[in-house]
Amino acid sequence: MSIYYYLSAFLFCLGLLGTIYKKDLISILLCLELMLGGVALLFVLFSRATGFLDAQLQVFFIMIISACEVAIGLSMIISLYRKKNTVYTDELKIISE
Amino acid sequence: MMFVDVLLTVLTVAFALLTVFSKKTVISAFALLMTLVCIGGIYYQLGSVFLSAIQVLVNAGAVAILFVFVMMLIDLEKYPNNTERSKIKLIITVLTSLVSLGVLALIINNNIDTITVVNLSDSSMKALFDRLFTQYYIPFELATVLLLAAVVAVVVIANNNKQHPGKE
Repeated sequence: MSIYYYLSAFLFCLGLLGTIYKKDLISILLCLELMLGGVALLFVLFSRATGFLDAQLQVFFIMIISACEVAIGLSMIISLYRKKNTVYTDELKIISE
Repeated sequence: MMFVDVLLTVLTVAFALLTVFSKKTVISAFALLMTLVCIGGIYYQLGSVFLSAIQVLVNAGAVAILFVFVMMLIDLEKYPNNTERSKIKLIITVLTSLVSLGVLALIINNNIDTITVVNLSDSSMKALFDRLFTQYYIPFELATVLLLAAVVAVVVIANNNKQHPGKE
């Protein structure tokens, strides 16, 4: 059972690594999903450890919010691709210009 | 420690590593799908059947497939080596992740003895939904409003280049 605590920490840090390291926006969103998965796993583990059932409902709401985030993020990526014709972060320096 | 626990952990770690370190984004998306399915299996193993079903249906079934669907619309083959970075950035990234992992592992390691496993006798769907529709009904309704707002926002954002025609 205790191996899952380390697994959730590992998933979070792996997602953090990918979020910083990856170049295209779709991969960055994928790694954000990985981070959210790690945090949701920790919520379920705490619900199991304390008998506090509300933590499982928090996971339910995390899923709703992550679905909204992915839908809006992907539509923004599509809109950006139509305007700039790229999804790579090295070529998207609108603010710094 | 049960055999299934170890198997699920190893599978999750393997697919998560494939998600981050795969060169092709399509393979990353399918590895993320398998990671989410494995996390659903862990939820089932921990006794929350409802969350396991929702995880497989919504996160693995809808969200991961949405990624693949968007990848069809975008030409990702233009730059095949999408993980190439300069050495100093790679070192900083790995250092940041390792320090975070070390801190989290230290916190878990110091508190792992105090964590007990409570038998959730009422972790059935009935107890969960009793709470969802009585104590948590305002967040639940707000979540539906959020989903509706997300639908409207997606339609508006994806259609907003009518007045700014891009490169033809």
